[in-house]
Amino acid sequence: MQQTLEDFYKVIRAAGVNVSPSDTIETSRTVALIGYTDRSILKNAFQVSLAKSETEQDLVAECFEQFFSFDTFSAANDPHSNNTAAASDEADDPQEAKSEQSETPQAQSELAKMLLEGDTASLVTEMKKAAREVGLTDIWFFTQKSLYTQKIMQKMGLRDLQNDIAAMGKGDCPSSIAQAGELRNAKDYLSESVKDFVEQQLSMYGRNATRNLREDHLKSSKLSNIEQRDFHVMHDLVRKMAKRLSTQYSKKKKQDKRGQLDFRKTLRRNVAYDGVMFETYWKTKYIDKPRLLVMCDISGSVQAYARFLLLFLHSLNDVMQRIDSYVFTGNLIPVKDIFEKYPVEQAIDKIMTDHGMGGSDYGTTLLDLDDQCMDDIDNKTTVLILGDARNNFLAPRTEVMQTLHLRAKRVIWLNPEPTTFWNAGDSVMYKYKPYCHMAKTCNTLDHLERMLDDLLKAATS
Amino acid sequence: MKELYKDKFTSVEDIQQRFEAAQYICSEQIATCVYIAHNLQKPVMVEGPAGVGKTELAKTTAQILDVPLVRLQCYEGLDESKALYEWKYAKQLLYTQLLKDKLSELLEGATGLEQSMERIHSHDDLFFSEAFLEPRPLYKALHEELGCVLLIDEVDKSDPEFEAFLLEILSEFQVSIPELGTIKAKIKPLVFLTSNNSREMSDALKRRCLHLYVPYPDEKLESRILTSRVPELSDTLRKEVVSFVQQVRELDLKKVPSISETIDWAKTLLLLHSEQLDAAMVKQTLNVLLKFETDIDAMGDHLRAFINKAHKRSGR
Repeated sequence: MQQTLEDFYKVIRAAGVNVSPSDTIETSRTVALIGYTDRSILKNAFQVSLAKSETEQDLVAECFEQFFSFDTFSAANDPHSNNTAAASDEADDPQEAKSEQSETPQAQSELAKMLLEGDTASLVTEMKKAAREVGLTDIWFFTQKSLYTQKIMQKMGLRDLQNDIAAMGKGDCPSSIAQAGELRNAKDYLSESVKDFVEQQLSMYGRNATRNLREDHLKSSKLSNIEQRDFHVMHDLVRKMAKRLSTQYSKKKKQDKRGQLDFRKTLRRNVAYDGVMFETYWKTKYIDKPRLLVMCDISGSVQAYARFLLLFLHSLNDVMQRIDSYVFTGNLIPVKDIFEKYPVEQAIDKIMTDHGMGGSDYGTTLLDLDDQCMDDIDNKTTVLILGDARNNFLAPRTEVMQTLHLRAKRVIWLNPEPTTFWNAGDSVMYKYKPYCHMAKTCNTLDHLERMLDDLLKAATS
Repeated sequence: MKELYKDKFTSVEDIQQRFEAAQYICSEQIATCVYIAHNLQKPVMVEGPAGVGKTELAKTTAQILDVPLVRLQCYEGLDESKALYEWKYAKQLLYTQLLKDKLSELLEGATGLEQSMERIHSHDDLFFSEAFLEPRPLYKALHEELGCVLLIDEVDKSDPEFEAFLLEILSEFQVSIPELGTIKAKIKPLVFLTSNNSREMSDALKRRCLHLYVPYPDEKLESRILTSRVPELSDTLRKEVVSFVQQVRELDLKKVPSISETIDWAKTLLLLHSEQLDAAMVKQTLNVLLKFETDIDAMGDHLRAFINKAHKRSGR
């Protein structure tokens, strides 16, 4: 049973639930306490002890249903009942059949006997045993499917079975030829069933590996090359990333009444009591949370990136409290409300249709910024600008950038274009660059993450 | 450390029955969780929307086990001195003032600082003894002679620092007080932590707990809960109330009504002697069910349809 439990943990891990060794120990104890008699209680027990959130609970339940289902070979059953019917037809002439039995070649291998008897239970047991021996739980990718099917079949004694079929088919006795045909059919069903089984196992054990491969690929490919259908996966990835970053950096920064007596204050306050310290005062320490102001270009030139940048912005909005988000093409538009009001895809669509497209005008945007937000920007604020600095040959208004540079803690510019393009055409990146604490290329999710990690580290230090 | 209440709770069904007797209708999952927690002495992290009976679960468990309930309400800024213990500084200071004379008596004849210090040292750390210790909930919970149910309410409201501090208590059921040494629980308390998910808890904390998610109840369960909590309610009205509330939950509301609101509403209707739901009555009492003006406004259009459907459900 221990092996089964371990396989089950493997399945759960593959589904993306983190199960630590201590979890498995605790769960094994729990199972020992609960026992295997009541399926639903067992399921509940797994849910409460392995899952750590609501979604994980659903995952565990799903895995449980999948793992502890025993419907393999149910398909193999029906055809066999037909076969037995055929066999009984065959045996119309029992005398003849009996007399021949002594001379005709008989099914020798265990597997052939099981198949002929239609012993589904032992077949399943055999198959699971074989699967365990060949290490089916290590299956990762769908390309390994036929390999593992073959391996399992071999382990179950495919060769002997084939020998039997060949031997029985050779003779000229009609009943043994018929039996050979029957065996051949049964073999096909067996192979189908094993394949089904392998597929089912793959869907349990290989789930994570395939997903990881895809996610890795998505993380390192250019944001502009990612297709619409991967948007969901990207959304998850970005969310995860934003969450990780925010839990890392948005810790509470206020400390109050922590252990140390403020002697000066206490003495001063207690002068009235003749120096007897009735009222005590404690040292306090305040550290402010960092503030983040993000501006995202959504003009035509960065169209391919804008959706993902907005996606990121939305996720950041979800997880961080002190963040002001704006989008711009020609004017600065606050989008915090839209993000809060609508679910992510709707919000992004709304922003893109309402404000998107058109040529960008960084100059006016900066003037807007000067007008609306400059008062709020102080030495604790980090300003993050996402855009390509393609200004359509308009006035760049670098003086605002200069003020920004002076006031803000950090000004960071993330440009989706590689550095070689920065000065080409209508890009005014080189004019803005001196006023940024950091200006870098950023066009994959990996870039984005690394960048923000740096950014937040600096913002909170 | 003794084992916890050895002979109680023999099976999952046993728990369900006992809870039902105590007017708490629990699903099988809740019962299983309590059973495991009780037998393996693991803390339970209860999550779910407000008002589905998370706190009530702990209260009922304490009632059934017949042990005291020690409750620690968490909030931003909660720290050890509020949760575990604090020295009674004022008392200490006051005593040093009052005992000044005694101290000078004690020090009489001592020459030099060193000798005086030794004199004082020869007496124990009187000022840092239990007499000057102000016990707080966690300390109390560890000190209960007969064990207790410890309810750490809304743990998500506390700071990460406090969460880290909880780890030692939850895994070892002991705490270290620098002046007194390590204090172990007399009997391991049964711990419930509740969370509204306003913040993600750390993995380390989650790892140590069983995780229980209490969702809004389905129609059947809610009906049973109402029967047990508001037994005076007529059959028809109960069905109507439950059906109505279930429909309200489908809407996009700021604050979806939970069980506690359903119970309050049922009691209100009972007080007003209604026999059945009608539009006027519902409109007047809707503020019991919904807590935001915008939510009540949003209900406006659906009200009649919901009532009609509720009538149909009750078979009228």
